[in-house]
Amino acid sequence: MLRVFFALLAGLFGAALLHLVIILALPHFTGRDAATRVEAEGDPNNFYLLTGRYDEAGLANGDPFVRTAVCSFDVGEDPVHFTAKGNVPFWSIAIYDSASNEIFSMNDRTSVGGALDVLAAGPIQLTDLRKNLPQELEQTIMVEMAHAEGYAVLRTLAPQASFDEAARAFLTEAGCEELDAR
Amino acid sequence: MFRFPLFILITLIVAFGGGIMISLYALDATQGFGAIKLGAWEAFPELQTVDADPYAKSHRARAGKLLYGSAEGLTFTASVDDSGERLNAACHYRISGQTPPARLWTLFTADNAGNPASLQQALPAALNSWTVLRQPDSSFTIDIATRAEPGNWLALPQAGTFRLVLTLFDTPTAGSSGVIDLSMPKLTKIGCGNA
Repeated sequence: MLRVFFALLAGLFGAALLHLVIILALPHFTGRDAATRVEAEGDPNNFYLLTGRYDEAGLANGDPFVRTAVCSFDVGEDPVHFTAKGNVPFWSIAIYDSASNEIFSMNDRTSVGGALDVLAAGPIQLTDLRKNLPQELEQTIMVEMAHAEGYAVLRTLAPQASFDEAARAFLTEAGCEELDAR
Repeated sequence: MFRFPLFILITLIVAFGGGIMISLYALDATQGFGAIKLGAWEAFPELQTVDADPYAKSHRARAGKLLYGSAEGLTFTASVDDSGERLNAACHYRISGQTPPARLWTLFTADNAGNPASLQQALPAALNSWTVLRQPDSSFTIDIATRAEPGNWLALPQAGTFRLVLTLFDTPTAGSSGVIDLSMPKLTKIGCGNA
């Protein structure tokens, strides 16, 4: 009888250990986290607009008034330059790493002239850039990516239907291009 | 002779079965531990950051949603009213008051997964800070019911439980350590059925 009790106790201990391992390891294995879905949208370095309905990758705007565009990127080779401008009441961008942790976010209030101008780069690329900064990057906000892969989410609001056109233009013309350095 | 393997079997079954069941239960029951709750409204300001607890990160990885960054906005979800009862489409609710400071906000009725509720095309399912009708002191009152109401009205699906999602854009609320001073609008139940 005592042995059964010990077996159960060892089992419970194992359950707790397994639970811990599952919770800690799960983020790496789900295959349906946001980073995987953004990569499934299409080619990297391209902003893909989302709609009110879930698309094949499983992403949607999520809010009837928000218009979203997502872009997956990899700064391993070259830094990535995010640009956008338009006549919209509000825009915001957030950059996440491949584990969907937020690296950086900003909205148009802290932008220069209401235009989006952000550069994501690895630490070594940033040091190189800062040494000789090209003129077009003088007012660019630099974001350091500890790991090369990540994705960016660009959002704008269309509080009424008449703002839809401007929101669509803003997102369509947004750029997520690799910077041809040198 | 079979006792020893039997004990090992018991141990393994309890370990694997128990471990998996507790994990699934924990992931479905909560969204992690970092929630702030203001009345009926609940938000997770750190869910998208690296500081989220492991449960939150697992939940985030399974749900696969695009979350708002700290400088983007903060989403508050109400699944119960101010008195703690589950929001039900058979009842009539009223939101009244002010939101914490934010440049813009949006409010929509959602299903239990947080997705905008699918209603008939012509029914108002969402409001934002630009379209809401306000009192002279800039507070507002929003009626939420299946039947049309004058003033601000949000439609509901015919039956079932639902949630309300209020998203504040460009708000200091997300990083606010003075959460105590924030006041969210009140969410009260006016009556159920034809009451």
